Amino acid sequence: MTQLVVQSALSGLLVGGMYGLVALGLALAFGVLNVLNVAHGELVMIGGYAAFFLFSEVGVDPLLSLPLVFVILFIFGMGLYQLLFRFIVRFDIETRIKNSLLISFGLVLILQAVAVFLFTGDDRTIVTGYSSNALVIGIVRIPWIRLAGLLLAVVAAFSLEWLLNRTTFGHSIRATSEDWSLAALTGIDVRRVYMIAFAISAALAGLAGSMVSLGYSVSPSIGLSWTLKALIVIVFAGLGSMRGIVVAGMLLGLIEGLSSVWVGNAYRGVVALVVFLLVLSVRPQGLFGRGSGAHV
Amino acid sequence: MLEVEHLGVGYGDLQVVWDVSFKVPAGSLVAIIGSNGAGKTTTLRALMNLLPALTGSIEFKGESIVGVPTHRIVELGLVLIPESRATFASLSVADNLELGAYTKRARAARSKTLGEVYDVFPRLAERKSQLAGTLSGGERQMLAIGKSLMALPEMLVLDEPSMGLAPIIVEDTFNEIKGIRDRGVSVLMVEQHIEATLELVDYAYVLELGQVVIEGSSTELMTDQRVREAYLSLQ
Repeated sequence: MTQLVVQSALSGLLVGGMYGLVALGLALAFGVLNVLNVAHGELVMIGGYAAFFLFSEVGVDPLLSLPLVFVILFIFGMGLYQLLFRFIVRFDIETRIKNSLLISFGLVLILQAVAVFLFTGDDRTIVTGYSSNALVIGIVRIPWIRLAGLLLAVVAAFSLEWLLNRTTFGHSIRATSEDWSLAALTGIDVRRVYMIAFAISAALAGLAGSMVSLGYSVSPSIGLSWTLKALIVIVFAGLGSMRGIVVAGMLLGLIEGLSSVWVGNAYRGVVALVVFLLVLSVRPQGLFGRGSGAHV
Repeated sequence: MLEVEHLGVGYGDLQVVWDVSFKVPAGSLVAIIGSNGAGKTTTLRALMNLLPALTGSIEFKGESIVGVPTHRIVELGLVLIPESRATFASLSVADNLELGAYTKRARAARSKTLGEVYDVFPRLAERKSQLAGTLSGGERQMLAIGKSLMALPEMLVLDEPSMGLAPIIVEDTFNEIKGIRDRGVSVLMVEQHIEATLELVDYAYVLELGQVVIEGSSTELMTDQRVREAYLSLQ
């Protein structure tokens, strides 16, 4: 029994790292542009397929192709911004959120349909020489490929924090998310900041996708469940700390993992949602959020 | 330096500014005076292209800036300090000032300008790492002015610089503005504090319900009967 509990907890932490990584990208887009991109999970899916085909057709190891997947999704994100989201940033925040929900939902349908057409509906997993290797500590088994996902999430969080706090461009991103009109008056090209922030958001989703197709599996329909997890993590964590988002993701994964021991796999999602609602009612700004939560 | 002619601005179907014309000659200190709702802030926002100009022309240094993206207007040397929320509350004093020199031209001289700003505003140097949101009203105003100077403006526009400040600080602020003009920066300020403003500026325009109703040098306006009765509460 103990072995089951500890193993479930650890598995939960590992997948929670992935929840955090996906949530980082979504939080960036939402925090900066005030745009809710429900197609974010589809970007994860695209990243997963990119890594998969780079491996199966070109023979590039998925860990080595991470920078390439980052660039591919970065460019794709820029394109999505220029084609779609650019037009809704002229509106006020409330309208932006509503319009972006509509637009991105349409994007979900399109991207899923295109993926089914191109790749069929089959699950794909990248299987490498080291895929079955694991770190064994006592009674628990930690697969290296899933640990890599968690490490990537931590690195991404620290990198984002460095970008936002220690670089002038990062300051311009924070300035734009606080007050875009003052940012423009400061000489900041707000449209360009939006585009790059959105592109980074998409690129992070792509990285997550790579690790998902290596450590789990990818198929055209995985998008929405990743988006939902990311949304829960963001509200759980609150906006304002990248580290907090990864920690909240791991916490969510941990809760799901532990509850699955007693409640069974079918209901693990429910337990997580219940805990999430409890946290929200007691601390609406999220576990690590700044502010009083008045605008949640 | 700045020439605005027959400017018309609106919000959707509501036109707020009608046929406004004014000039700011290089090196001068000009004011637009008016009470609440006169259209002052709307005019300034249109100047910086935060609002589209429905009609009229806006020329800065001889070139039209109508429709030019706001950040490009700042790069050209025209800088606006908005009425409230002129600093980034979630960033520190130092980060606000550094960000002020965001344009290419200003960034090249950033460390030099920063040193000069800290010399003029030693209080800001003391509070370098403090979040701008935790500063007092007067300190935030200082930071707003310092930040705008970081952009190396050729012309500075101030929207109600006295708003919400204690009288002693207003005096300091106005002296600071005079100092800025004396260092060669053209200044346009929009104000409700009419008497103090007229004592400061060279020339002024009076805006009422979106139209210029009186204009003249400050001495002319101070002796103008209409201005004295309506705005200075004198007979």
